Amino acid sequence: MRLIPIVGTAVLLAGTALLVNTLRAQDPGQTRQRMIDLGKQHKTAEELYLALKEQAHGGHRLTAGMVPDWSGVWTRARGGITYDPDQKPGAPPTAKLTPEYQAKLMKRIEDADKGIEWDPISTCSPPGHPRWLTEPFLRDFVVTPNQTYLINEMMNDIRRIYTDGRDHIPKEDRYPLYNGDSIGFWDGDKLVIHTNQLHGGIYQRRNPDFTDQAETVEIWQKVKPDLLDVDVWVYDPPALVEPWYTKQAYAKIDDQNKALRIRFWHCGENQNNAVVETEGGGTQFRDFTFDENKPNTTSPTPGVKP
Amino acid sequence: MKSHSVFGIAMAVAMAVLVALAPAVSAHHSATMFEQTKTVTVEGVVKEFQYTNPHSWLLVDVKDQSGKVTTWGFEAEGPSTLQRAGIRPSEFPVGTKVTMTGKPMKDGTPAAVWVLAVRGDGKRFDPREGFRVK
Repeated sequence: MRLIPIVGTAVLLAGTALLVNTLRAQDPGQTRQRMIDLGKQHKTAEELYLALKEQAHGGHRLTAGMVPDWSGVWTRARGGITYDPDQKPGAPPTAKLTPEYQAKLMKRIEDADKGIEWDPISTCSPPGHPRWLTEPFLRDFVVTPNQTYLINEMMNDIRRIYTDGRDHIPKEDRYPLYNGDSIGFWDGDKLVIHTNQLHGGIYQRRNPDFTDQAETVEIWQKVKPDLLDVDVWVYDPPALVEPWYTKQAYAKIDDQNKALRIRFWHCGENQNNAVVETEGGGTQFRDFTFDENKPNTTSPTPGVKP
Repeated sequence: MKSHSVFGIAMAVAMAVLVALAPAVSAHHSATMFEQTKTVTVEGVVKEFQYTNPHSWLLVDVKDQSGKVTTWGFEAEGPSTLQRAGIRPSEFPVGTKVTMTGKPMKDGTPAAVWVLAVRGDGKRFDPREGFRVK
């Protein structure tokens, strides 16, 4: 009888290994479905992460000579500001949600269609992971042997991925963090990341909420000189009835004259960008003015061509 | 070669769709205070270019027939996105003649999402080009 769970685990691991090693080269539609199935084979993000680690024989530590070249300035390759780049235009998000979170999402979309929308980052809080994956601005990625820095220009937002073999902090000491706590290992040229300890938020506008219980597994790989692919599974039992798999991608920007810089991002530097949430849940500018002597609260519209 | 051509066309279409779908103003706050289906066009001269995060504002003084001047603000993304669109501070010195097209605010305030700027010399500036993946 003891053999059954052992055999079951072995079969699961073998299946995981077979899938991950072969999926990327196959038809994108089939690959997506198989990645979805892979997520569903594991009850938690931690289980999936450990299965991937087992498959990679524990993974390996980088040495200085092994560090992959992820240099350059990158940006999101596709998806606009929709969390799932494969969401079809006009279709709802691809997540399979619990009834409560489905109802919240439908309300959010209905309100947005009526012009009622408030984004929690409007008052300069960070997007937080996994929304971090979606912001459409500049990024750079710094790989070192023991730690990888995934940097998003917006809000100077840095995720630190510890690959030196450390574990997550003990459960009893965890508290919500915008980008969570991330550990990882290298499997060849693939960086596998497990993130927990997240702070609830939204995946994007017109997208679902995620909760403090969300955890993610990501596999980052440079598949072309100018393309990083990322397989992402989000596990979030209060909000998701099954893991939400998406394929994210980042393109290296052709910056031959090296004109682009990632600068410090001060969200509150211009008063004309300050907004408030209206009583009805919408967004309105707080107090902007383009003329110090004549605040633009009311005005005719000279020069307008209909 | 044939497959490369098809791939190239598909990529071009995908990029065009991406740019078309890219929000005119996506960082930081929702754009629901702006009309999404209407546009306005005004002609004037640059008063100031507030080249800031998370949004930049190009301020344009617009004179009506009576000579009264109103300052219009056109909101776009922050500096890095504008740089990628070829929109640098030096392109819009104070006094530059410009025709601006934008999605106006619903409440009538003279402000809009910057859709297109056409300078007096005919050069065109579309901030959404800053989202193009080149």
